[in-house]
Amino acid sequence: MRAATAARPLALGPSFGRSTVVLGGGLVALTAISLISVAVGTSGVGATDAGAIILHRLFGIGTATWPSSSEAIVWDLRLPRVVGGMLVGAGLACAGTVFQALLRNPMADPYVIGTAAGASLGAVAALLLPGLIPFIAAGWWLGLGLVQVFAFAGGLLAVVVVYAVARAQGGTPVVTLLLAGYAVSSLLSAGVALLMFLSGDRLAAVVSWLLGSLGGASWPRLAFAAPLIVGSFVLLLLRWRRLNALLLGEEQAVHLGVEVEREKRILTVLAALATSAGVAISGTIGFVGLVVPHLLRLAFGPDHRLLLPASMVYGASLLVLADLGARLAGGIPVGIVTALLGAPFFLWLLRRSLVMRPRP
Amino acid sequence: MGNLRGTSRGLAGAPLLVLMLAVSACVASPGASAPASTTEPGLPSSVPSAPLSAAPSPAAFPLTLTDDAGRTVVLDASPGRIISLAPSNTEIVCALDACDRLVGVTDFDDYPAKVVDLPKIVLQTQVDLELLVAAEPDLVLAAGNELTPSSVIAQIEDLGVPVIVLYPESLEEIYTDIEMVAGVLDQGARADSLIDDMRRGVAAVEAAVEGSDKPRTLYEVFHSEGTTYTAGEGSFLASLLELAGATPVTGDAEGVMEAEDLVAEDPQLILLGTASYDPSMATSAAALEVVAARPGWSDLSAVRDANVVPYLDDIVTTRPGPRIVEGLEALARAIHPDRFD
Repeated sequence: MRAATAARPLALGPSFGRSTVVLGGGLVALTAISLISVAVGTSGVGATDAGAIILHRLFGIGTATWPSSSEAIVWDLRLPRVVGGMLVGAGLACAGTVFQALLRNPMADPYVIGTAAGASLGAVAALLLPGLIPFIAAGWWLGLGLVQVFAFAGGLLAVVVVYAVARAQGGTPVVTLLLAGYAVSSLLSAGVALLMFLSGDRLAAVVSWLLGSLGGASWPRLAFAAPLIVGSFVLLLLRWRRLNALLLGEEQAVHLGVEVEREKRILTVLAALATSAGVAISGTIGFVGLVVPHLLRLAFGPDHRLLLPASMVYGASLLVLADLGARLAGGIPVGIVTALLGAPFFLWLLRRSLVMRPRP
Repeated sequence: MGNLRGTSRGLAGAPLLVLMLAVSACVASPGASAPASTTEPGLPSSVPSAPLSAAPSPAAFPLTLTDDAGRTVVLDASPGRIISLAPSNTEIVCALDACDRLVGVTDFDDYPAKVVDLPKIVLQTQVDLELLVAAEPDLVLAAGNELTPSSVIAQIEDLGVPVIVLYPESLEEIYTDIEMVAGVLDQGARADSLIDDMRRGVAAVEAAVEGSDKPRTLYEVFHSEGTTYTAGEGSFLASLLELAGATPVTGDAEGVMEAEDLVAEDPQLILLGTASYDPSMATSAAALEVVAARPGWSDLSAVRDANVVPYLDDIVTTRPGPRIVEGLEALARAIHPDRFD
């Protein structure tokens, strides 16, 4: 049995038992982290009340014995952050997995082909617009509005531009895609920097958005982003075979019956959709989308049948955990926490791969 | 600038946070009564009716007002539990004898002394929404101009707590804001005498510096790598400097000045507001040494004539509350010491 598992060809996927352990373990971890996150915070509202409040709100179980402020803390502050962390973390890790396979580049992350820079430019423009066009300031843009919509549109638009630029006759070479992504990102980042320079009093708002934070997560925002993220999850999960085929190389994928160019377009749009919707909730949060796919691929192998759902579960866990840390550490932006955790880990990965590779 | 100053107090706030957790933990225990009433056992006691009993005027409520951000706010009753998100707001509330209605302040609050022991809702300039909600306020006094981010204001309102934004940019606007807050607190008579005192204080300073020469004065709010942040053109601080008998050296509207512009403007007097937070600049000799070492500064008249003053009253001078008159007097004393013998 053990020998058979080792020799199993890639396309057949991991054994049922192993997938169950990996995903089941991840789900248990995610559940535990989420429960702790809902039960812990800077105010003293604890696990008992938090659990009772959630059961009461969801199923109408029990009667309210807690102050209404506790209900607001659990239901309107903590829970949206936890759900938002799950969605964004899962979205980023999953998009990272897709881009790393699609571009066959381990350095790829969800932002690599322009989503982050495009979303940032959109958001920063939206943050500064009310100062320029007074009537927009009339309230509606802060709740769900302008910043989220502009960030989302900016992220998608940047990817479309990058894709259009990289497109040569008959195909979109991966290297060109990466280079175009880099160039367009640089251009858009210069735009962001210029707007920051001109932003005056609103600079603090701009910086805190760019650092990434789940502090603004609210039910209306989640209602906007969740269908987009979950929808792209489902469609991406259905394409695991094609991602596996692409991993072998584009020619091989063609031989396996994959319409490579069409598939690349679809995968790019879906991953960019999940990324941009996530960025609209939380701003740009780094490293989750780079490190989680890496770690999982190292641990469990490159089969996307397991890798895609695992990246969602573990990405969600990591971000909810990082946000708990960020919250308890006095509200520092979660993007700082993920980068602080992620960068050393990435360096360790890099060292490890250097050590394992024979010297020339 | 608030960021820089706020961080220095971050550690000092940590033990308080622990205390606060303990306090709010007993409030949130399952046995507590359900409705979010104005009084809750366990928190610093605030009985809204007590300070009001002298002259209650229930007819004033519901009260509709327009705050400094141009927002319309409706209050059904005079709030008994108030959270202040800026030290200047705290000082206004306390100057109106309503300190006991405050249930939360910032970690930069230091005046009057008793507010230091209040729960800290703003830690290192970040509003902790969870602590804010847990304190069960029925009014939040925020700061304008993005000092309280507008996204945070929107979140607080979404949580059902009314928010009044205060951002006075002149003495007259401070008076107006004091009157507005007094209306909310039902403390109109106290506001009248407070504002009278303030006007008298301003008049005394004006009389003291009347007819003096008006030295070109640079008030340094902050300095970094050749760029000086000073009183912006047309700013509140610039108007205070004028009242104190100076000709303010202003940068652009944001108060930003490059070294070249500074040399061209050639201030005759430099007040280092930074010295309020940096003990290494607190003596005249040290202050002079620091600025003389900056590229181009040794040629300034103020530096050549050793007219560089470590200004230690930055807080009262830049905090737009009732003590602004003290700040004005401190400025006048620094600019015209001979007039205050």
